[in-house]
Amino acid sequence: MLTAETIIQSLASGLLMGLLYGLIAVGLALIFGLMDVVNFAHGEFLMIAMYATFFLFAFFALDPLLSAPLVAAALFVFGAVVYLLIVRFAVRAKANAGMVQIFSTFGLAIVMRGLAQFFFTPDYRSVTHSWLGGKTISVAGIFLPEPQLMGAAVAIAAFGGLYFFINRTDFGRALEATREDAGAVALVGIDKNRVFALGWGLGAALVGLAGAIMAVFFYIYPDVGASFALISYVTVALGGFGSVFGAFAGGIIVGLVEAATALVLPPSLKSVGIYAVYLLVVFIRPRGLFGSM
Amino acid sequence: MTALLETRSVTQRFSGLVANSDVSISVGRGEIVGLIGPNGAGKSTLFNLIAGVFPPTEGSIWFDGEDVTRLPAAERCRRGVGRTFQVVKSFETMTVIDNVIVGSLVRTTHMREARRKAREVLAFTGLAARADVLASDLVPAEKRRLEVARALATSPKLLLLDEVLTGLTPAEAQTGVELVRRVRDTGVTVLMVEHVMEIVMPLVDRAIVLDLGKVLVEGKPADIVRNPKVISAYLGDRHAVGA
Amino acid sequence: MDEHFANRRRRDLVVAACLIAIAALAPLFVTDVFTQNVMVLTLMYAALSQSWNILSGYCGQISLGHALYFGLGAYTTALLFTKFGVLPWFGMLGGGVVSALIAMALGYPCFRLRGHYFVIATIVIAEIGLLLFQNWTWAGAALGIDIPVRHDSWLTFQFPRSKLPYFYFALALAAVAWFVTWWLEDSKWGFWWRAVKDNPEAAESLGVVVFDSKMGAAAVSAFLVAVGGGFYAQFVSYIDPESVMGFQFSLLMALPAVVGGIGTLWGPPLGAVILIPLTELTRTHMGGSGRGIDLIVYGSLIVLISLARPQGLVGLFARPRKV
Repeated sequence: MLTAETIIQSLASGLLMGLLYGLIAVGLALIFGLMDVVNFAHGEFLMIAMYATFFLFAFFALDPLLSAPLVAAALFVFGAVVYLLIVRFAVRAKANAGMVQIFSTFGLAIVMRGLAQFFFTPDYRSVTHSWLGGKTISVAGIFLPEPQLMGAAVAIAAFGGLYFFINRTDFGRALEATREDAGAVALVGIDKNRVFALGWGLGAALVGLAGAIMAVFFYIYPDVGASFALISYVTVALGGFGSVFGAFAGGIIVGLVEAATALVLPPSLKSVGIYAVYLLVVFIRPRGLFGSM
Repeated sequence: MTALLETRSVTQRFSGLVANSDVSISVGRGEIVGLIGPNGAGKSTLFNLIAGVFPPTEGSIWFDGEDVTRLPAAERCRRGVGRTFQVVKSFETMTVIDNVIVGSLVRTTHMREARRKAREVLAFTGLAARADVLASDLVPAEKRRLEVARALATSPKLLLLDEVLTGLTPAEAQTGVELVRRVRDTGVTVLMVEHVMEIVMPLVDRAIVLDLGKVLVEGKPADIVRNPKVISAYLGDRHAVGA
Repeated sequence: MDEHFANRRRRDLVVAACLIAIAALAPLFVTDVFTQNVMVLTLMYAALSQSWNILSGYCGQISLGHALYFGLGAYTTALLFTKFGVLPWFGMLGGGVVSALIAMALGYPCFRLRGHYFVIATIVIAEIGLLLFQNWTWAGAALGIDIPVRHDSWLTFQFPRSKLPYFYFALALAAVAWFVTWWLEDSKWGFWWRAVKDNPEAAESLGVVVFDSKMGAAAVSAFLVAVGGGFYAQFVSYIDPESVMGFQFSLLMALPAVVGGIGTLWGPPLGAVILIPLTELTRTHMGGSGRGIDLIVYGSLIVLISLARPQGLVGLFARPRKV
């Protein structure tokens, strides 16, 4: 029954989920903005963040909220390593440059999924008790699940932090400068590789945060990254590759569209709305809503 | 006889910036015309407009008696407008001869014919020995020649040369000048943008000077170089000799 | 100089003919069903990847949504056969035509997109196709279509008792895909595609109609892939959306070309011969304890090839071109 209440309820959870999508996508946008590379293993970064959270819970009874910073830190290191071992070489390609950039990270995604299947088995895991798990608050008659609410709060905090970081700190400014002109930056003594590695680390850490929160209310299995990956590419492309703010806005749009679609179409078709919106936006504005690249 | 190329009151605006303002020029068949002017004068924009990279904000462009204003670049090439790029755009992953074959394919779909034509053009431009070399392995001067060869393979009526002689050694530049003369001798009209005065002035029949997006003056090279307006446009008013 | 080139072309043709002849004799020596199955799949993927290569390798428009056409071909054939009794031969052709038309219709808006936006659009469009078929009850929805197999017949292209006819059809398909590529390579289309891939702006200045050439590549590519899909439907006799339109298919169509040599004539078949037996073997022979190993193996291969040898493995057999 489509009442005003159901609609508002739906859109409210869509908004919360959208902020989380934004958090997942912003790392992707950051990396692309920095060096023109799309990380096609982004979904797998999310996947290992979720597994890490799960294992910290399973072996040390650490609540995801507490392990989130640890997971983010671990992902930071992982992201930097991926850059140094793989991406650094991928961007040097002269022939077939487009193919190399796409398939080098795609290949990594496949390897990561294979490793997850091998070591963790395809079984579904879940974090069975967490501090916020299963609880909901009622705000003006709308029920908001606490984990998602927390996720949204973390997302907003992360965006705020990112904004501050990029605009107010030296490293953040170096990041922006390298984004504008990697060659010139070298002349000022900034090591491009160091900046890129840290950029990848930061991007991965952000998706690590998202993964930690999502482990509270999503099942964890080797292929879990795949569906979220597509959503994040769509989110970033919608907002415009390279735009951090665009990822934020794109996430909210995607979350709302997904929720709205679920209201009118059968649940298995809920992604169709997002995909259709993506196509509509890029057909009209080939550079996305806020993109400049 | 009508001019081969005519721009009629062409104006080009880029979100607030006026790159070309009310530019009306014409190029007659068989001429070698030089398009000169200080940096930022709008020469490249005018070139792009003539080549069909984008349509002008205002005005029209006529080629061989036909209004081509709305025709895209590929169509203009078919009509007989060939061009080179200031920043060389060779097909780096293809060999020299394959680069040129792409050009000859606009006139014929028979591969043997296209290949034969390509060899002819390579011989004409002095690149025959480098036919099977990858374009990325050429030295800069050779890449310039490849630009010209490719455009020539399209059997153009009008060849637009964008700073083909800039930055070459005097010897290379002389070879380039001879090439341009030979191109004209085959019946192709040439419009060239250039910076290096000593090289260009002896070569062209006529020169058109652009400054700040407008046509400043045009005429014979000998007159142009003495024109005080031209001198002050290039060097600033302090250097202008009295009228 | 030109006979040198003509000789190379002729040599390619001769080598292909020899390989086809050798492959045609293979079933005489290979009688176990599992290996025959692998051979059929290898040939099918060689054909699919070669076709994918036309759009994404030669023309440079990387598509990761080609499973859409494969699925359309499979479904068209299966639906026409099961619902209307149309022979699969016509079904495959019909599927090919439908896919070519859809590829061009999609090309219209999509070819304006650059780089990453384009790739993601192809993924998204294939996903939409998948979701639509999963919810289309007339076409069997998520349960798919079961193609009833009666007896051996070339008419209905069904052979419950032997893999051999399928093998020969797949061989023919791979040969056709290779031959189409060989022919187009030295043609106006082939040169235009390579020019568009290398530098579209320069191509335009030389009279290349960039948009038309992309459309042509998309149509040819989609047609051949769809015929492959129709073949697959008859080969496995059961299709569902996930198995013919899923993303893993899009990836598997691209990978042989990437490993063998994207944008080359021999790359896709070489890649298929290496990758497909590898994946089939690791998947089945390792059983439960080996789950994921096939992914690890070919994922690593993709990473290594993209980083160390982006021109693919085919370059190891080619003569150096520098003078």
